[in-house]
Amino acid sequence: MTRDAIKDLVLEIIEDIDEDADFDTLESDKPLRDQLDLDSMDFLDIVMELRKRHKLQIPEEDYPELATLDSCVNYLEPLLKDA
Amino acid sequence: MHVPLLIIGGGLSGLAAALRFARFIPDVLILEQHSRLGGLNSYYYRNKRLFETGLHAITNYANPKDKKAPLNRLLRQLKIKRKELDLHEQVHSEILFQGQESLRFSNDFSLFCREIELKFPSSYAGFTELLTLIDAYDPFAPADFISARKVIQDKLHNDLLTDMLLCPLMYYGSSIENDMDLGQFVIMFRAIFLEGMFRPGGTIKDLLDLLENHYKGYGGKVRTKSCVQRILTDGKKVLGVELTSGEEIRCDYMLSTAGSEETFELLGESSKIKKLPRLGFVETIFEIPPATKLKKAADNTIIFFNTAATFNYSSPQETVDFRSGVICMPQNFQNLASLPYKEIRTTHLASYKLWKKHAENRSVYNSVKDDTARSSLAVAEKILGNFAEDIVYRDTFTPLTIERFTAKKEGAIYGNPSKIKDGDIGYDNLFLAGTDQGFLGIVGAMLSGVSIINQHILTRI
Repeated sequence: MTRDAIKDLVLEIIEDIDEDADFDTLESDKPLRDQLDLDSMDFLDIVMELRKRHKLQIPEEDYPELATLDSCVNYLEPLLKDA
Repeated sequence: MHVPLLIIGGGLSGLAAALRFARFIPDVLILEQHSRLGGLNSYYYRNKRLFETGLHAITNYANPKDKKAPLNRLLRQLKIKRKELDLHEQVHSEILFQGQESLRFSNDFSLFCREIELKFPSSYAGFTELLTLIDAYDPFAPADFISARKVIQDKLHNDLLTDMLLCPLMYYGSSIENDMDLGQFVIMFRAIFLEGMFRPGGTIKDLLDLLENHYKGYGGKVRTKSCVQRILTDGKKVLGVELTSGEEIRCDYMLSTAGSEETFELLGESSKIKKLPRLGFVETIFEIPPATKLKKAADNTIIFFNTAATFNYSSPQETVDFRSGVICMPQNFQNLASLPYKEIRTTHLASYKLWKKHAENRSVYNSVKDDTARSSLAVAEKILGNFAEDIVYRDTFTPLTIERFTAKKEGAIYGNPSKIKDGDIGYDNLFLAGTDQGFLGIVGAMLSGVSIINQHILTRI
């Protein structure tokens, strides 16, 4: 999966969690949590959706890697290289 | 049979937990001992009509835009759209201490503030300080018991106002006598006064069906009339359950919503939780025709009342304590479709021990139940006006009724006074959710199920 495709995947998952999420002003190097008003429960949704869709097992200690859109892409790129 | 997750109890916490998990891993099984789902918030049929067992109002109302509000977080977690729920807000409610003072409140919090400013002017500055405290307090951080009564009294310097603030919060969710833990107080204050009350347009059955349909849509399974005989263990690991039918069901993870002591009994272990008195309740439903006009029942949704000199929220010495309680008019929510009947529901504290004693003789039990309905009617008529002549149907639930249908020990709807906030009862793969985890009310129960699944199970599986 390309970096752009991974980005789209993450945004698609977030949109699925919150259909009113506003991506227009989203800065990819700033925490998603603050910009989109997500809480830790919502983050778990991202993890579980990645697991459901791509059979990814993300251990709890790696959750901080998903903090920003850029860090998500960096973290997921090697895991989804064959996807 | 083997499932990844087995849930004991199909009440709202069990259903929400099951739905949350099934969104990602479908093979969940709920075991419910009763023939219907819902637990405390279920229903039954009489005279070809559906009666709700527990629902007065749902607390934690939130505007759609308020993403962090418990109700909206819950719906996101369960992937349920708000419009599926058909929410109707309360008209307004009242705290009525007869012969002393009354305070009206609604989902517009400013009404409550104005009432307090008008009726307790010298406590108003203290009340705003209390609001600041409530706003800043984190009720979910681990903390020892802090007396809410003492904190409130220190701010308000007024016993009557302190009791009036505590009365609705206690009746709608306190399992302990005459006080609340500060954290629990903050949760309940937000849920009832700051957020407010609502109900679904239909009945509790519609809400239960909605949850069940979503759950089954993901592939989840429910078995009703399935009573767990014991939980099978290997050291601190649970293996599954044995049903009273003798059947064994194995699982990777288990969630029990059966209560802490009840769960320890299934484990064949004695509970180490401190024994404190459990609070029992009686509720009577009076069905009246829509034509019956009662001034106070016309638009009040709920009246939390006290008729005694001081407010006492404790296990009564007598069968029922009629001096205080709740009167609910379930039809008084905004924009509800008009129905061919109205209800007036009354709730009071009751003694499980005495009801149990009365039940040794069926005719004594039935006559005490009749007396209870009559006495409760007299209390309600003093507040609302007379309607005895108009009653078309009446039914009373005692602590024994509640115990029988919900398996809640001693019919104590708010469960064990000692809560296990993190749901951890010392097992590797068994966790507790529901009433004894500490979140109360319909939204609270559902959040309990969801948060225990999130915290302990989804992150590990």
